[in-house]
Amino acid sequence: MVILPPVLQLIIFGFAVNLDVENARVAWFDQDRSAASRELGAMLANSRYFQVVARPETEAEAQLLLDRGAVLSVVRVGPGFGADMDRGRTGQVQVLMDGTNSNDAGIVSAYVSRVVSNLGRARGREFPGGVEIQPRAWFNEELKSRNYFVPGVVMNIITLITLMLTAMAIVREKEIGTMEQLMVTPVRPLELMLGKTIPFALIGLLDMALATVTALMVFHVPFRGSVWMLVGSSCLFLLSTLGTGLFLSTISRTQQQAMMSAFFFFTPAFMLSGFTFPVRNMPEPIQWLTYLNPLRYFIEVLRGVFLKGTGVEILWPQLAAMGLIGVTILLVSAGRFQKRLD
Amino acid sequence: MKFRRVKAMARKEFLHIVRDTRSLVMALLVPLFMLFLFGYALSLDVDHIPTMIVDQDQTPSSRELRARFEGTPYFEVRGVETSTALVNREIDRGAILLAVVIPAGFHRDLARGERPGVQLLLDGSDSNTASIAINYAQALITGWSLERMAGRRASLPAEAQVRVFYNSDLKSRNFLIPGLIAVVLMIIAALLTSLTIAREWENGSMEQLLSTPLRPAEIVLGKLAAYFAIGAVDVVTSVLVSIFVFDVPLRGNLFFLAFASGIFLFGALAWGILISAIAKTQLLAYQMGMLSSFLPAFLLSGFMYSIENMPQAIQVTTYIVPARYFIAVLKAVYLKGEGMTLLWAQIVFLAVYGGIVFALATRKIGHKVA
Amino acid sequence: MPAEIAVEIQGLVKRFGDFVAVDNVSLTVAKGEIFGFLGPNGAGKSTTIRILCGLLAPTSGRAFVSGFDVATEPEKVKRSIGYMSQRFSLYDDLTVEENLNFFCGIYGVPKERREERKQYVLSMAGLTGKRTVMTRLLAGGWKQRLALGTAILHEPPVLFLDEPTSGVDPIARRAFWDLIDQLSQAGRTIFVTTHYMDEAEYCHRIALLYKGKAVAMDSPRALKQEMGVGSMEEVFISAIEREDR
Repeated sequence: MVILPPVLQLIIFGFAVNLDVENARVAWFDQDRSAASRELGAMLANSRYFQVVARPETEAEAQLLLDRGAVLSVVRVGPGFGADMDRGRTGQVQVLMDGTNSNDAGIVSAYVSRVVSNLGRARGREFPGGVEIQPRAWFNEELKSRNYFVPGVVMNIITLITLMLTAMAIVREKEIGTMEQLMVTPVRPLELMLGKTIPFALIGLLDMALATVTALMVFHVPFRGSVWMLVGSSCLFLLSTLGTGLFLSTISRTQQQAMMSAFFFFTPAFMLSGFTFPVRNMPEPIQWLTYLNPLRYFIEVLRGVFLKGTGVEILWPQLAAMGLIGVTILLVSAGRFQKRLD
Repeated sequence: MKFRRVKAMARKEFLHIVRDTRSLVMALLVPLFMLFLFGYALSLDVDHIPTMIVDQDQTPSSRELRARFEGTPYFEVRGVETSTALVNREIDRGAILLAVVIPAGFHRDLARGERPGVQLLLDGSDSNTASIAINYAQALITGWSLERMAGRRASLPAEAQVRVFYNSDLKSRNFLIPGLIAVVLMIIAALLTSLTIAREWENGSMEQLLSTPLRPAEIVLGKLAAYFAIGAVDVVTSVLVSIFVFDVPLRGNLFFLAFASGIFLFGALAWGILISAIAKTQLLAYQMGMLSSFLPAFLLSGFMYSIENMPQAIQVTTYIVPARYFIAVLKAVYLKGEGMTLLWAQIVFLAVYGGIVFALATRKIGHKVA
Repeated sequence: MPAEIAVEIQGLVKRFGDFVAVDNVSLTVAKGEIFGFLGPNGAGKSTTIRILCGLLAPTSGRAFVSGFDVATEPEKVKRSIGYMSQRFSLYDDLTVEENLNFFCGIYGVPKERREERKQYVLSMAGLTGKRTVMTRLLAGGWKQRLALGTAILHEPPVLFLDEPTSGVDPIARRAFWDLIDQLSQAGRTIFVTTHYMDEAEYCHRIALLYKGKAVAMDSPRALKQEMGVGSMEEVFISAIEREDR
């Protein structure tokens, strides 16, 4: 339960989280059938971003393809396309997009535009003057979105496990009655608390190690930072998750309540951590809120350690924040964790 | 199967739900809370990209280009430098995502018709934003250079005109919110039901129930009915919020939406009950519920990440995630106004899924003691 | 099966893997009898009761309750029995009346008779006027009596009670057994397991289970005479020593 599921999840979800658009299904609607249009069609088919899955012959067919969601886009060329290009006028290409997935749509339309402008170059009609644009992406040269997401998946799995296990396990003892048994022993509250959380901390670290190895070996996510950084920041992060689990267990009477409370905490923390949706895109007040979210900091650290190779000099604010939040939560929970039944 | 017994079971279950106020309140409010929060907070729309302009030319042309970047909401120019010395540090720190480097001699080369190179240096770790940033920057720069050419003979060899269907302003919200409804329902359904049977095993009441004339199918159906009521309330509030608060267009038929939601809810709840029947303890049931409902609902259902972009092997696993079908239905009903004619396959799958899971749960309970 | 026999077990065996929980047990219980099933923990008492209630399937052998075969007609068996399981009493987060209503519905007590049966059970448990009390708030003894009451709402001819008085104080235990006696005199058959030896005295006949086998079976008085001892405890010890030899 501790080893296999996290690794399995990481593998499945790691492969799933991918915003890169490749082999996007498009339809090629050629009403011109000139040399120029055929060349464009070939460029589309050969591009690794697209797969031409249909070649409709009529408007109605094309529309149906879009409606059914069979293709993401219909690229259409009207009857005068080739003639226009030959005469030095601008050839018009229509791109009909299914906007229901706005993310994919935006990316695909950009790709199509690029192919279209490449066509001009290919036909020997260099655009005189103009600017050559040279993009260079650091840390993730091929812009594989998986490198961006996998560290986040690692974080989420670890959080879910440590949070869940801690909260439920303690409440379970309350429910069954063994907690009562423990409380009448001379064990001090602090010792009891540590005894209950340290095993989960170890599990958390173990899973962290497993997940990291999987990320490196299965997904080839680069690891440019230091291992100590990873270990240290994980420990700081676990302070928060275990502390929260402890806290939730002190406010829940039954396992059902613990579970719902854990969920209630985890889901916003997960969604607002910058995992998929950048914090920068969020409204101001929400951005302020994320300053309280330990997941936000940890994901910055993880991306820094994996992708950027940044060290303490750059990441110390995040580490400090995690430490502060973790210690605070633990102190609050410890305060509540009395050796009493209510 | 006696309806009387199912009714007794459902009534008892309903009382349990109502008596646990905290869980009830959460079950009703959490979907709303999530919709609000994520509807407002989450967006894949990219703008205000923190940018640095490195102007190594300091000429009218470079200043014009710079002004373009400053004038668009897509980019937020955080600083203008004359050298690239600070670029490293600022990208490392995460202070900027993009540095636009206009080289010395830019103006001169343009005038001569030679093609000066403009470098775009990006933080690639957020690849999604980076790709989009590249696209925007290219469009902006190309657009600017085109305008400079207007007047001269040059015209683009070919250009693409994009027309977007169903979501013409490409608001990510319109495609996120219908998906969010499915995710929220899936999670609530799993959360609510996954503990219910495990709890009865843990406190011994299941044995008692099985010694009565109550059949396993009646137990499952009774529990389902009670939780269905909660789920239905969640569906209604979610849909209302999506339409009236977030202005997501609902172009399809409301009854069809209700029908599809009902079928989905049945399956999602049945799944939670199945898990509860398989797991012997509540702790285990919860873990299994999270693993099999929560994360797949977010990550494998097509909510955030398109299924088509996943490797084949993973795409296969998504076939057993009911949220996947429901999200397809929701998006189609909301944005495309579709109905049974085009969506019948998804509906059939959801119904079959519900039926199979129900049968499995019933069998599992029946076999448990023996 | 003659009408006077309520429960009949023939050569019952139950195996869990290699472990034999019930080892070739045979017995009959007459209608109206209070039959006690004694034995140490792990002797097979609860397993036997579960088989008789249709919760477990026998590995071999046969068992009949009210004339129905537990292996092939469990549903009919369940309709004619009441079962009080060892752990569970009632739903803590429901009121007394809600618990009663639930079991009325489950057992199919006809609508016209419900009120009458509920009142009977309430008075039997001494809880008249406490309908709306949350079950969680009842003391142990009352809960047990109420649980017994729910088992007889539908007036079943046979009752199976698995350690019904565990954890209950002696006075409440005595009151409980008075109830059982009343039910027996009204013609119901009661099959009880217990490890309180003194309670064995209240039964018409008892069977002593040890390591899955029935090592003694007769009325308490007859057993005491046979073993030449004065109390059920000594009967118990002697029987086990005899078996271990």
